[in-house]
Amino acid sequence: MHIRRFDHDYGRRHFLKSVAAGVFGGGVLMPVWDAIANTGDPSKAYPDELLSIEGYTKGRINTGDEITADNVDLVKELLEPIKYQQIKTMGRRLKIVPTTRDIMRLSPWEYMEATLKNAGQARFDERGNIVTLQGKPWIGGTPFPNATSALELYAGLTMTWGRHDACMYAIREYDLSADGDVQFNYDCGWAELSPIGRVSMNPKPYLPGRENKLRYQSVFFTRPDSIKGTSFLNIWDYDQNTFPELYGYVSAFKRIRQFPTDQRFEPLIPGSTLYLSDAWAAGDPLYTWGNYRVVSRGPALSGVSGGWNAEHPNWEHKTHGGPKGKTFWDTQVEFVPEAVVIEAEPVKFPRAPVSKKRVWIDARTQLPIAMVSYDRRGEPYRSFDGAYGLYESGGKSFNDGAHPYWSWAHVHAFDIQTGRMTRLEQVREIAGHKTMVNDAVIYDRYLTNAALMRIGGSD
Amino acid sequence: MDGSKAGRWLKTGLATAAMLVASGTASAQAEGDGSFFDGFLGGVDVSIGGFIRVENAFQTGDENPFNQTGNIYNNQTVARLPGVPVPGSPALSFAVPNPLLADTTQRTGIETSNNWSNYHILRGEVETGIRLSNDLSLIGRMRAIYDPGYDDFNANSVDFDRGGITGGDRKLYRGNSPNYFEFRPEGKRHANPLELAGENYLVYLPSLFFDYNRGPLNLRVGNQQIAWGQALFFRVFDVANGLDLRRHSVLDYAQEEYADKRVPQLSIRAGYQITDEILADAYVAKFQPTIFGNPNTQYNIIPAQFTVQDRYGDFDDKFSYGLRLKANYGQWGFQGMAVRRYNPDGVFRWTKSNVDKDLPTNNPLGLTVHTLNGFESGQTLANTPFEASPGGVYSAEEWFEYAAMVRLDGVAGLNAAINDFAPATTNLLASEVNTFDQAHNQLDTFFIASGGSLRGHIERKYFQETVLGLGVSYVVEAEPGSPLDQLIINLETSYTPDRVFTGIDLGQNFENHDASVTALVMEKYQRFSQSFPATYFVFQAMHRNADDLFGRSLRGYGGSRTSTPDGVGSANYVVLAAQQPFPNDIYRAAFAVLYDPRGSILVQPGVKWKPRGSITVEAFYSYINGDLNGNPNDTLLSTASFADELTLRVAYQF
Repeated sequence: MHIRRFDHDYGRRHFLKSVAAGVFGGGVLMPVWDAIANTGDPSKAYPDELLSIEGYTKGRINTGDEITADNVDLVKELLEPIKYQQIKTMGRRLKIVPTTRDIMRLSPWEYMEATLKNAGQARFDERGNIVTLQGKPWIGGTPFPNATSALELYAGLTMTWGRHDACMYAIREYDLSADGDVQFNYDCGWAELSPIGRVSMNPKPYLPGRENKLRYQSVFFTRPDSIKGTSFLNIWDYDQNTFPELYGYVSAFKRIRQFPTDQRFEPLIPGSTLYLSDAWAAGDPLYTWGNYRVVSRGPALSGVSGGWNAEHPNWEHKTHGGPKGKTFWDTQVEFVPEAVVIEAEPVKFPRAPVSKKRVWIDARTQLPIAMVSYDRRGEPYRSFDGAYGLYESGGKSFNDGAHPYWSWAHVHAFDIQTGRMTRLEQVREIAGHKTMVNDAVIYDRYLTNAALMRIGGSD
Repeated sequence: MDGSKAGRWLKTGLATAAMLVASGTASAQAEGDGSFFDGFLGGVDVSIGGFIRVENAFQTGDENPFNQTGNIYNNQTVARLPGVPVPGSPALSFAVPNPLLADTTQRTGIETSNNWSNYHILRGEVETGIRLSNDLSLIGRMRAIYDPGYDDFNANSVDFDRGGITGGDRKLYRGNSPNYFEFRPEGKRHANPLELAGENYLVYLPSLFFDYNRGPLNLRVGNQQIAWGQALFFRVFDVANGLDLRRHSVLDYAQEEYADKRVPQLSIRAGYQITDEILADAYVAKFQPTIFGNPNTQYNIIPAQFTVQDRYGDFDDKFSYGLRLKANYGQWGFQGMAVRRYNPDGVFRWTKSNVDKDLPTNNPLGLTVHTLNGFESGQTLANTPFEASPGGVYSAEEWFEYAAMVRLDGVAGLNAAINDFAPATTNLLASEVNTFDQAHNQLDTFFIASGGSLRGHIERKYFQETVLGLGVSYVVEAEPGSPLDQLIINLETSYTPDRVFTGIDLGQNFENHDASVTALVMEKYQRFSQSFPATYFVFQAMHRNADDLFGRSLRGYGGSRTSTPDGVGSANYVVLAAQQPFPNDIYRAAFAVLYDPRGSILVQPGVKWKPRGSITVEAFYSYINGDLNGNPNDTLLSTASFADELTLRVAYQF
């Protein structure tokens, strides 16, 4: 039993004071990572009012309740402003599930093991890149679990997107008008492979000969016919001052072409409100953005568990809200004791349509749980919120090796200025492509120029 | 491959296509997904997608002058002045005019049409993928097109004139309407495997291949297309396939490039990712030629006064093969290729008409020649490239006008027809001449003798050649956001030693030149506002040393109705194009210009609108001016300057 030693606003005062002092370190009662390292349970780092929705709202909202327009004001401070507006005015609802206390259920198992094992091994080199104490590329897991600055948090975020050594996400995308109609509906795939910091796939921790690369990543579309075969391949340099190489196969051109590396704020396909820059709230090399700073800390409501819909054979999710009942994914959220809000500016993108972004990061896992970007006038522009989960539910599971797969499950990308919504969901498969994790074929099948040609289909 | 084999290929292919569609539909029914279908057939993944599109090009220009009903001499009265033959003396032959037998003529019975539309079709395409295992898939795409036709030439309408047109393929030259789709080489049925075509419809499989992927190896076996290179529209590395110029020829949306134009070939293609940076790509393909528009179809560019005898049947068992290496090293990219191929464009030359039709005896010239040939002038003519039929060339003036329009030498062409087909031609009293005037007189002599017009017969043959190519690309890195930052520069060049070209005299020996083609491409995405996505700009320049963009020898440039060509040393072209997506890419405006500094331009503004995922509306206007600077036969685009049009396309996709 946790002994109540602090008054109800203790955590709030602590967060305000630390942000005002420019000090960051996850946890209130103790560093959150120390609590995790000692017990696997981050709750030791937080007072009672930050351990459950009941504690935070003094019982006015309970686990199992739904957040709706009627009660959202009780949790307004737990939500990023656009999500609050969506609930208040657009019929969005959130179902509250219990807060997850087992840290191993909030990220891939091997990744968390590596984070524990490699804690204290990371530093920045003279170019600002994360290296080991010996100056080698990173060896796996979150590099700064006890992050003390916004830059350390963001460096980790940029480095370890999906937290698997390799993934191919089969994705369905739905682009909705402000009227709530699904105007565009795409099937696509998103592949990632990390040649460094590998914790599951041999060879570990590096792919020999590719230690100078951070990531191979591609996105491709398989439906509808007009967009079929369109694909983009990013090859990231390990140096975070360098733009990724960008190649594309565009249906209209019927061949692979090199693209400008700064093409990261352009719609990839008609109707979509997503940019390459939006990926994992850290879609660009670390130092193409700058002025990273912590702007606030505090509890949050976020979909960090329960995102997988095991009931549907293709893992597809149900929707609600908006003018036609199709605008929002049915979403489960849990009370997150501490989210760190980081702000950054696109310093290497002078013509980007955004002036800054704010990213909500779960202090326990350092996962991004929401993002809001602002236009050049400083007005809120677009918001992103996702749901994660362990792919284990109701007696069913989808395994990643020896353990249930952990990953994202669905994402909202909302343009608040136009009312357009893009919904993404990870599914079991799209035509000809299945979700895969840590499979050696991912590189050859999705992450080379030859792969782009093949994905180009019949052209 | 003989016709029966091709027929079996066709049946097999279409049956497979039907199977693909049927299986996809079955899957659709199982899944109950109304817009897109995927499912499982005993563990085999099947997917199907496609679109239906209405395409219409509203004519704002002229009728096609290369067709009978667009001929610029229709309804024109032209004077003809024959000459006096002096066999064996090029200096004197036909040098002396014979005004006593002069006359005037019209293209009798052939009226100029007045179409409101250049092009209107209904197109449907379906693609199916069947995943047979983790490594192996079968991919098929079927394209079906229906064209209801136009106000066009009816060959039977000139049957009153000397019995009508006699030579050539009946379905191409003697039907009551043009044949819009069938590719009909001599003695060859189903020249394109996996294609079923009729006068008004075309159904074929641009893709039907097995795709095998294992590690860095990717293997494709079956009917397919291959696109190489970075240059858009300008084809430097893009040499693996010929072009299908039926349908809308090269006048589709320029920025789509040759999306549906490359002629598929039965091929084996292997791609191998040697390292992260280096990709090898090789193919072996059954040779398939470029397909030109049939006579009297909308965008035909071979004058309908010719009868073409395509000899592809002698080459349909030939193969082309090639290798490309492509490497990327950060800002730099390199590629090289070597291709051994049959030039799919082919070359043309005079050929025997094999039409035994006597010269009419109701005029003194015809009577004289017919008598001198033992009253068997038809047999003699059959051994020359001419037939005495309507719908041919009616006057020397028309001869020289059209020779210049297609970049041929009217005098040399006459001499080649005479010399290469002697003694038949000399038996008809034809003889080589030295001057334009002599040729003029001689031509008018034989047009009068023929009783109206002569149709010329040419044959199309194919030659093997080696194409070597090198390319380099560089991405400029400058101050972020500055005009030069992320400018992508590509330079590509190809070299073909001893390429065979159509002689500008249509002579039997063709022309041979070492040919080089070089293209510089500069691409740039630049944002001008926060709310609009980046504007895409592309600038391209091309230099060719031996032929023009349509593959015609540059020696044929510069002719006119009153002169023979003096040729040009090289051809240069410039392209400037831009695309501006609107927010969310719902609208996309585009603009493309192709400019030939010798005096012609194509300007094509357009817009694409995607109101919903399933609907796409596109509109673009093609403005072509081939007369910016003096002689239109000195520049590329005069050939297509008739085709000003507004194209509208509305597609439903699934």
